[in-house]
Amino acid sequence: MDFIPVTEKDRNEMLKQIGVSSIDDLVKEFKPALTRKLNLPKPMSEFELMQHMKTLSKKNTILKYFLGAGSYNHYIPSAVNHLLMRGEFSTGYTPYQAEISQGTLQAIYEFQSFICLLTGMDIANASLYDGASALSEAVLLSSSYNGRNRIFVKDGLHPQYLEVLKTYCEGTELEFTNEIDEKTTCVIAQNPDFYGNIENLGYLSEKAHKVGALFVTCVVEPTSLAILKEPGNYGTDIVVGEGQSFGIPINFGGPYLGFMAVKDFLLKKIPGRICGMTTDVKGNKGFVLTFQAREQHIRRERATSNITTNQGLMALASTIYLALMGRNGLETVAKLSYGRSHLLHKKLVSIGFKPLNKKPFYNEFIIKTPKPSSGIISALLKKGIIGGLELGDDMMLICCTETNTIQDIESFVSTVGEIL
Amino acid sequence: MKLIFEYEEQITGHLSDEDIPIELPDDLTRNELPLPNVSEIDVIRHYTNLSKKNFGVDIGFYPLGSCTMKYNPKINEDVAMLDGFRNLHPLSKDDCAQGSLQLMWQLEQYLKEITGMDAFSLQPAAGAQGELLGLLITKAYFKQKGEKRIKAIIPDSAHGTNPATAAMCKYEIIVIPTDSRGNIDLQKFKQSLTADTAIVMLTNPNTLGLFEENILEICDLAHKNGTLMYCDGANMNAMLGITRPGDQGFDMIHLNLHKSFSTPHGGGGPGSGVVGVKSFLADYLPIPRIIKQDNKYILNNIKRRSVGRVHSFYGNFGMLVRAYSYIMSWGTDIRKVSEYAVLNANYLLSLLKDIYDLPYDRKCAHEFVISSEKFGEKSALNIAKRLLDYGFHPPTIYFPLIVHEALMIEPTETESKETLDRFSFVLRSIADEIKESPQVVKGAPYTTPVGRLDEVSAARKPNLRWIPK
Repeated sequence: MDFIPVTEKDRNEMLKQIGVSSIDDLVKEFKPALTRKLNLPKPMSEFELMQHMKTLSKKNTILKYFLGAGSYNHYIPSAVNHLLMRGEFSTGYTPYQAEISQGTLQAIYEFQSFICLLTGMDIANASLYDGASALSEAVLLSSSYNGRNRIFVKDGLHPQYLEVLKTYCEGTELEFTNEIDEKTTCVIAQNPDFYGNIENLGYLSEKAHKVGALFVTCVVEPTSLAILKEPGNYGTDIVVGEGQSFGIPINFGGPYLGFMAVKDFLLKKIPGRICGMTTDVKGNKGFVLTFQAREQHIRRERATSNITTNQGLMALASTIYLALMGRNGLETVAKLSYGRSHLLHKKLVSIGFKPLNKKPFYNEFIIKTPKPSSGIISALLKKGIIGGLELGDDMMLICCTETNTIQDIESFVSTVGEIL
Repeated sequence: MKLIFEYEEQITGHLSDEDIPIELPDDLTRNELPLPNVSEIDVIRHYTNLSKKNFGVDIGFYPLGSCTMKYNPKINEDVAMLDGFRNLHPLSKDDCAQGSLQLMWQLEQYLKEITGMDAFSLQPAAGAQGELLGLLITKAYFKQKGEKRIKAIIPDSAHGTNPATAAMCKYEIIVIPTDSRGNIDLQKFKQSLTADTAIVMLTNPNTLGLFEENILEICDLAHKNGTLMYCDGANMNAMLGITRPGDQGFDMIHLNLHKSFSTPHGGGGPGSGVVGVKSFLADYLPIPRIIKQDNKYILNNIKRRSVGRVHSFYGNFGMLVRAYSYIMSWGTDIRKVSEYAVLNANYLLSLLKDIYDLPYDRKCAHEFVISSEKFGEKSALNIAKRLLDYGFHPPTIYFPLIVHEALMIEPTETESKETLDRFSFVLRSIADEIKESPQVVKGAPYTTPVGRLDEVSAARKPNLRWIPK
């Protein structure tokens, strides 16, 4: 397949204009020259490509998920993708030229507003890569704000987020601590935590503030914010998290949507793009990227972060999703996710599973299995169900969203019942 | 246009409501959810109308230097949307994920062949995260060797991400100037290369759009000094099938799949900043690695010397699907991409160099930098704004920083001669306008949804979100 429109006649005229006789003359400085063809497959026509990709995609098995753990299978209204596929949105880049990017810029402004409304914070940025890197950026922000380098992480952080955080800390010379004291730069807690537990973290933010540390809340399942207390309400200075639940397919783990929101006093320290409302020469309302003096293309080695390309189109997806669902729709998503998971939990307890959550949970719970979890997972797999995440020999992390129907739940329970 | 929050209350929601009691104590629940309820038709109109205030490759010529704004084939969108890819949970067992794992493994093989590297990680979500990974590997490598190396050499023409990333990793940054031919200054380079130099970060071809003429010698000198060579692969679109960074002597590279491999830029992402390394650094790549064993693909979590993980899961998988699809459509002919990218750039340069100044008079690679300094201060900005009235996206301006009033132009291979002719005609006309009616150019643009925006008050009186009344 060929996406080059230059004809042979054009090419010859162009070479003549340049003053060379062949394209090879233009690349003769490129050393060392590759003297063979690259060892790649034969080019495919569009038809062949589609057949090939369909075959490949069918090697994956898509089942009914009772599995979350950082990737949540919520329903996505059709309209999201129809709008997202518009080339006006998808084929532009970072809106440096504000006059011809008002669509993207207003959408970012709306995204920032949605994130602030949901989290109860003052300022949000235009997105970061994913939940895990957003958490790492929060730590860098904290350290740059108070000049300290020790991180306290409350139990219950997503293990893969912790791994990413450790990787970032290795490079940036930050370390972990078990004490909250005058050397602590920030205290991190995930809410709901990896095991599903929900807490009012006011006590922990107080503890952090008492020693001058920042308090960071990490939200991995943000539909919970439709019903749960907003983190800004219990003393959080930085909220970071994963926006995938808002209209973004699970897509084998990416592209997802990191987000960050902060209290006013951290405005000049926040990483990434920020969009602001202003006026044009005629006094009309308009939007621009603002506070760019924080960023790498201006500040270079003194930037607040190295980030440039973020997850723009995913931020747009979540904005459209939130607009489509609205207050009522999002509350329904949260209520159904809560309701379905509590229904399954109750049914599993009634057939001999032991509850392990010591606190209330939202749509995900950890439970002790009466038989080895691997056997339970396999039995469910045979019925087309991914029953959850195995945690050790006799524990499972199970999740429901509004896409898990009551029939699915009954089938889950009866399948498990058969092997007990 | 009004904000989505300013619509009057309507009927919304895409799920049937059920009466489900929430049994949570008050200190865990919120009092109100201050989101709007807007009907689907109004949401569709709102964002469709917003999209009409945007510019993209699908609308017109977008020669934004360093960003490779080439056409994004629509077939790649369709294949990325296939149910089997889109609806696979990242924690599915390997048995259920063979299609996706095969795609990723195969993509790694193709990227190895294209770059001359020995191993790849697909985790980094964008070029800047790829750079971070490169420097984390550098740190781990020297730590393992027991060498204390604290310096990173970076040319003055580098992308801002290079020094920003090096600073994140606490490296001392040594900036090397550019010589009169637009190369990194070899003498200064030699002087700066000391026993504590960990890494040299180079973009090749560099941000002036020029192939580094001394690249073989630079890599050789660095290696003799025990220093690693990192390639910022933002400009890979010049080299596909022509020359390979791995053969030039680079030890590591990040590729921006959203540039050379045509995944759409999305209004600022998602991108993908995959990282390739030579075999002696392969063990440092993030886990999990994808391995092929008895014709099965497996996610391997054995850490060995790995720096750890840089992504919640495995990277921006949807972008990997598009890049894979792009490579499959070109296959063995992929060299043509770079040949025509270089042809188009040199052709456009030949049409413009008599009216604008060319700071380094050489044949260019896939992009070039001209200067409008002779048209006065802020002329690059004014020209950029005037181009909007003619229906073009402007070039990158004021970068690289070493060229005054820089216009950095990257036409890409997907543009026709007709488009390039028209663009050069317009740039000539604007040069005439500057001489004949300078006020017209200074006041531009006139035809866009809004005029020039007040960036000063945007920063002085920040309005960064909607606040409920």
